[in-house]
Amino acid sequence: MSRITFSLEHIMDKVLEVISEEEFLEGVRRATISAEVKVAGILEHNPFIAELAKEVKRVKEHVLNNIDEYIEETIKSLRSVNANPYLAESREEALEYIGKIVGKGKTVIMSKSMVAEEIGLREYLEAEGNEVWETDLGQLLIRLEGSKPMHSIAPAIHLTRDKVARLIRDKLGLDVTGDSPEGIVRKVREFLREKFVSAEVGISGANAIAADTGSVVLVENEGNIRLVTGLPLRHIVVTGIDKIVPTLIDAFKVAIVQAAYGGLYPPTYINVISGPSSTADIEHTRVYGAHGPLEVHVVLVDNGRRSALSDPDLKNQLRCVRCGRCQFECPVWQHTANIWGGPAYGGPMGIAWTAITADIHGASSLAYLCLSCRRCEVVCPMEIPLERIIRSLRRKYVVNLKA
Amino acid sequence: MVNLREILELLADNTLKTGLPVPIPKNEIYEWAEPLGLKRDGDTYLFTGALYQLIPYIESLVKYLESMESKQRASKLLVKASRVLTSIPSLSKLALRPSKESIENSRRILRSIATLLNIAGVDYAYLYEDDMYSGILLYDLGLEEEFSRHARSVYEKLKTRGAKRILTVDPHTTHALREIYPKFIDGFDLEVINYIELLDTKLRVEPKTANKEIEVVIHDPCYYARFEGIIEQPRRLLRIAGIKPLEPKRTRDLTYCCGGPIEAISPHLSARIAKTRLEELSSVSTRIVTMCPICYSSLSRVASSGIEIKDIALYIAESLAGEKSLE
Repeated sequence: MSRITFSLEHIMDKVLEVISEEEFLEGVRRATISAEVKVAGILEHNPFIAELAKEVKRVKEHVLNNIDEYIEETIKSLRSVNANPYLAESREEALEYIGKIVGKGKTVIMSKSMVAEEIGLREYLEAEGNEVWETDLGQLLIRLEGSKPMHSIAPAIHLTRDKVARLIRDKLGLDVTGDSPEGIVRKVREFLREKFVSAEVGISGANAIAADTGSVVLVENEGNIRLVTGLPLRHIVVTGIDKIVPTLIDAFKVAIVQAAYGGLYPPTYINVISGPSSTADIEHTRVYGAHGPLEVHVVLVDNGRRSALSDPDLKNQLRCVRCGRCQFECPVWQHTANIWGGPAYGGPMGIAWTAITADIHGASSLAYLCLSCRRCEVVCPMEIPLERIIRSLRRKYVVNLKA
Repeated sequence: MVNLREILELLADNTLKTGLPVPIPKNEIYEWAEPLGLKRDGDTYLFTGALYQLIPYIESLVKYLESMESKQRASKLLVKASRVLTSIPSLSKLALRPSKESIENSRRILRSIATLLNIAGVDYAYLYEDDMYSGILLYDLGLEEEFSRHARSVYEKLKTRGAKRILTVDPHTTHALREIYPKFIDGFDLEVINYIELLDTKLRVEPKTANKEIEVVIHDPCYYARFEGIIEQPRRLLRIAGIKPLEPKRTRDLTYCCGGPIEAISPHLSARIAKTRLEELSSVSTRIVTMCPICYSSLSRVASSGIEIKDIALYIAESLAGEKSLE
């Protein structure tokens, strides 16, 4: 199941390197201080959001307790809006299926998706001979740097503006400087515009999927998701089965909670996608593929999720909305970012997600860097017992060691 | 880099063999109480959990592990080997050299706590040679089987001494006995009271209005603030002692860890986290109050001169000792 072997021993070199790198620490420090303050302000001015979070928690628990029925309902609803659903049991199944839809020699644009990162989608499609572009600026920077996302919603959090400018100059050949973040953003926009127009396939994740309507809900600020999911003829959604909620209203609640606890509220855009685009303007007969995609494929990835439901501790992680607040508030994470983590995920929630989706033994060794200070638990909108989960992983590490 | 397995075995072996995570002379655990003449028998016992007494020795071990971490990293960079094997010798062979100052500091804190309990009119006895370590480190490292064995032996000893009530003095031991022991020991029926909680209800004195009010910045330990809900009590006690507690940016239930719990796994990362916290605290006041021996040790390790870190018991005892303050 695991594609990369990793352990505490493996990451420690990098950890010791970054904690003496003032540029790295400063990048993370600026972002976390701003996030801590922002989220606190958002919650203070919008007291209803904390209530909404409680509702989302209840709804997600309910879905997880009845996951098979909800997967079935979601698949039915997706078909009813002419989307193509697919349930992938493993990362290999997901890759193979998506690989077939994409084919070879295509231009593919992606918006940021942690599940795509989890299954190694970009690398896979590139190896198949496709030209793949990340369109989220942070995710693009990560790719240019050759590293991994350092936070679930702010992947390039560790990069200062000077380092960003250096990467863009060296890797994309664009004429930018660190004095002007606006200039960097404008140049990247111009550069990617042409990719958006020429891409045959757009790939996105999902913040929530409504079982009753088959709608995919996506939150964003950059506007790249609108283009990725709207311009190419084919749109592929790749997401975890844990993103299913009963209704479209619930999906909106998830979007609001995720954005608020991630420190970006109101979100600039909330996208709702229920199947492919169509028009009925010719003789009132429906024709698919109007201005938006002709095909919408929704790949629901299990990859260890359902089996984690039988673990009394790990199962709690599955209601995570990936706002990343536990990362922002964690003393260890504030010094290591996602270097403290597995191949895709890091930080308090990332240790558990790594255990669920990659390698439980590797994740168990990472658990030893946790301070057990419970700061993450206090701030988690889904009230996930993160300290208890990480403690349970240490217990598993010992059991494994003795075996 | 770190050899997780080795560290786990090292600490587990020693705790199981000696009852303590690091080798320390047995009498060091109760020697602090000698000048006080505390009574030996009763149903309410002061149980220090030995954490204050262990700290000087743990500091010495961490210093050693820190040099190992540096050395391994340096040699690895040099030879670019994928793995450098350096074994940690067994703890009994490792000569730990705790600083006299650190030992004396721990003793002074414990004596202050005992004195404060006397001032508050608390009737209690001390365990002396039966004062023990809670085993909390075993639990924290995931060695629950070993922890369970250790906890049962501690519990049996306490029962043999006729204990009905236990007074604890640090956050980790408080949490261990109050919340974790009952999960591992059937029929656990000891009442666990923390001394700060107790002093808060028993010390009935008018808040001191000192000539010059001392301002301090308060560092809540995670295990008091987030695990045991002990947040207001220390603040009230400081005010009674005529000391004004100032709040750092991250405080109360959002307090920021001192980095201590991972000091054996990665001394450098632990120290870096401590430094972040120290900077935050010292930007409010150069007088820092701690309530946990681990916090005290972690923050002291990275503090420069000019910053005074001091346990809450010392602050309160210095202010109140000698005062008639019975309820």
